[in-house]
Amino acid sequence: MAQSQTVTDTGIAELILLWREELATGMESIVCLDMATPCTAAVGSTFADPADTAIHHTDSGLLLAAIDTVGGDTTNTAGDTITFDHVFTATATKNVAGIHVCNNDDDVAFIECCFNAVIPVENTDTITIDGQSTIDQAA
Amino acid sequence: MAVQTRNLFVTSVNADHREGICEKCKIPLVKEFYMDGKRKRVRMVCPECGGLGRLISRSVSIQPPSPPQCVKFSCLFKFTLDTLFCALLSSYHSRRVSYAEKNRHKEILERYRTGNPSPTSIIEAIHANIKLSCPVCRKYNVNLFLNGGN
Repeated sequence: MAQSQTVTDTGIAELILLWREELATGMESIVCLDMATPCTAAVGSTFADPADTAIHHTDSGLLLAAIDTVGGDTTNTAGDTITFDHVFTATATKNVAGIHVCNNDDDVAFIECCFNAVIPVENTDTITIDGQSTIDQAA
Repeated sequence: MAVQTRNLFVTSVNADHREGICEKCKIPLVKEFYMDGKRKRVRMVCPECGGLGRLISRSVSIQPPSPPQCVKFSCLFKFTLDTLFCALLSSYHSRRVSYAEKNRHKEILERYRTGNPSPTSIIEAIHANIKLSCPVCRKYNVNLFLNGGN
């Protein structure tokens, strides 16, 4: 199964709320998805209901945390890209199927990503996330 | 019939799975922020030697092909080939990551951990998939037919 990643419907709705200066918050948190088999990212996924049967990790260093770095970048037009980097350090043996990138209120998943394959992490293992999302005028 | 695409948002996520103990110094890695050009990045490094920890596997984003822009045979044929290549490449990277994770404590070719070099054509992708599924072939870093070396 291919790695899949997408901006979710709820993520777009949150973005529109930000543009309208209504009650919304920006990209701030990240959490690992727990599933024994590879998942497939879907636009209909939500913070409470990730892809397939995946759930959020709630412990072992893979739980919801503030993203280490969030920045801006340029892909096609100036400032059209948001970048995010994060390092998870596992404290137990777990399966990681993907990630959710969430808002500051921790109630909306902006981006869902399901990895190429399930990553079985062991104690002290690290997963370094290097992500970006571009609003592409050229598409 | 409406074709639903989400081209406006192009998202990519890569993930490096590494050991958290320095292979050389045998001490835990520590989080380090650094500048990569204008971009602030983060990584885990050994406080003694600056090593990054042994790479176990790297998951990579594969972008789906752009939809055809016309109904000419050449456009549709190109889209079909691009889709086939995308499927083969996805299959290769999925199997590569699974293989690397299952053999995390064994010596395997570095290309199966890093994903580089990656197939760049349909022929190379087919060859890479066949080679990865062959227990003998995947041990040898030899390619008699292709420049890509998969």
